[in-house]
Amino acid sequence: MASVAFSRVEKSFGHTKVLHGISLEIADGEFMVLVGPSGCGKSTLLRMLAGLEEISGGEIAIDGRVVNDLDSKDRDIAMVFQSYALYPHMTVAENMGFSLRLRNDSKARIEDRVAHAARILNLGHFLKRYPRELSGGQRQRVAMGRAIVRDPKVFLFDEPLSNLDAKLRVAMRAEIKALHQRLKTTTVYVTHDQVEAMTMADRIAVMNDGRIEQLGRPLELYDRPANLFVAQFIGSPAMNVFDGVYRNGAVEALGARWPCNARANEGQSVKYGIRPVHFDLAFDQTAGIETEVVVVEPMGAETELVVRIGDQSLTVVTHGRSSAGPGDKLSLAPSAKHAHLFDAASGLRL
Amino acid sequence: MTNRKLLEEARLWLIGIPVLLWTLIPIYHIFLFSISTKDSAFSGRLWPEHPTLRNFGTVFKQEHFYLHNFWNQIWNSLWIAVAVGAITLAIATGAAFAISRLKVRGGRTVMNAALFTYFIPAAFLAVPMYKAMGNYGLLNSRWSLVLAMVTIASPYAIWVLKQASDKLPWELDEAARIDGATPLQLFRLVYLPLMVPSLVAIFTYALLLAWNEYLYAFLLLSHENTIPLAVGLGHFLASDDSPWEILMATALIYGMPPAAIYYAFRRYMVGGLTAGAVKA
Repeated sequence: MASVAFSRVEKSFGHTKVLHGISLEIADGEFMVLVGPSGCGKSTLLRMLAGLEEISGGEIAIDGRVVNDLDSKDRDIAMVFQSYALYPHMTVAENMGFSLRLRNDSKARIEDRVAHAARILNLGHFLKRYPRELSGGQRQRVAMGRAIVRDPKVFLFDEPLSNLDAKLRVAMRAEIKALHQRLKTTTVYVTHDQVEAMTMADRIAVMNDGRIEQLGRPLELYDRPANLFVAQFIGSPAMNVFDGVYRNGAVEALGARWPCNARANEGQSVKYGIRPVHFDLAFDQTAGIETEVVVVEPMGAETELVVRIGDQSLTVVTHGRSSAGPGDKLSLAPSAKHAHLFDAASGLRL
Repeated sequence: MTNRKLLEEARLWLIGIPVLLWTLIPIYHIFLFSISTKDSAFSGRLWPEHPTLRNFGTVFKQEHFYLHNFWNQIWNSLWIAVAVGAITLAIATGAAFAISRLKVRGGRTVMNAALFTYFIPAAFLAVPMYKAMGNYGLLNSRWSLVLAMVTIASPYAIWVLKQASDKLPWELDEAARIDGATPLQLFRLVYLPLMVPSLVAIFTYALLLAWNEYLYAFLLLSHENTIPLAVGLGHFLASDDSPWEILMATALIYGMPPAAIYYAFRRYMVGGLTAGAVKA
């Protein structure tokens, strides 16, 4: 186990700079998720930590030791790839034991370690099979087994669940989390799926355009997004955001007054943000802001409504069932303490 | 079956049957000659009156003037073909791995150079090659033909293996590197096992190329004991009254190993040689 430190790490491909001085400290035993849209540089950052990409500037240290010039194999890390990257010509047991075989461990020790990992991952029955004879989830577990067997300082996951179907993804998510709780190995996990990030991480680094937009615990990011990008990236369905002007302790927008606890300068242009779950509904149209229902999506436990106010569409999630239908009038009461204000120009939280 | 399909089918047969005959008639002729007696060889019949296997006996026992070195020559053919196959394979595999997987500097140049060699027909190089082998003092040694054939076979072999290598997922190399593999271990434990189909195809290609070679063999080797059977067969035509039935029996024997090899590895040949043909 070990800590990981990035300090002012840069990466350029030719003249294109893809990482602009990333600094990030990951504590011993922490589960850190790097999340962001595709092309934000999260995978590149992970690959630099793995030693698969050159570091253009700055330093990466594992356990206090700068690893910039170390080969992958000398960094004591293990990586799980999106495509699993299992050796097709080796059995599950050979795949898992390959790293130990390369460092000339004894046969007995390899068997012992592989059996141990197979027990943890429920792979005992599959040790003699080849990867092509396994399902996607089983392959992913073998890839994890290959990582566990080595008992590395750091686990790296590069979008490990992207190739799995939705149901399996949820199951594997729980498995990886349980695995981390059991092994307590420092983990860096890259994903573009904010739900994965929210559910698995100790801390999340939200990345965009080669920079870290915000670093924090999952609920911290959800409750207090530092800027518009994080506000709209974290949370599903995404936060409703629209333009307005701050006056007398509320925001005037879309022909209505939107309550908020945050403060801005009188007359300042702001973006008003509110999550779909933070509305109260009233059908009597006397209180609140009047909207028209466009789409109703019953999910069972909750109902997702798309409503329109002027030209602006808003998403509203209500608990339980809704009797509203398309064309109905719906009166919304936004929760002031859950409203977010962002500066219209900079996008920063107010 | 609709008319359209019928027409399609008919067209295929119309092309297929002539092609089949075109291919089989010469082979049938060889076979016919080889089981005929000397006097009936040119009778023009489709099946000899007294079919015989005596010609094969004559060949195997080396009982003809032109066949005094038959076993020696077939051994030369085999020796040269296997050597060319093995050396070409070693060179091409190493080059393909270095260029495709290790991404060595100048790899592109090597690939372009390999492609460029196709603009020059092998026959153009025969005389320079003869001169070069003479300078090295290799004339009349089997090695001269081996080296010449390796030179001719390697560019294509490198090209095909490089294309096949490019298709292996890059993550496998990365996973192996993280697992602690050195480039040599990557080559031996991951790359080679996954390349087997292409390697078999290229080995077979080079082997058959050398086995069938006549021009270079004729040029570089001239001693009765060093020439391969292909050149030995040519000697039959030196006399005015060639023993056709024995020549054809020998030719049939000579044609067997390639047919057997091709049949055994046909799965690899089709898959392996077309692997680089189109980008999937």
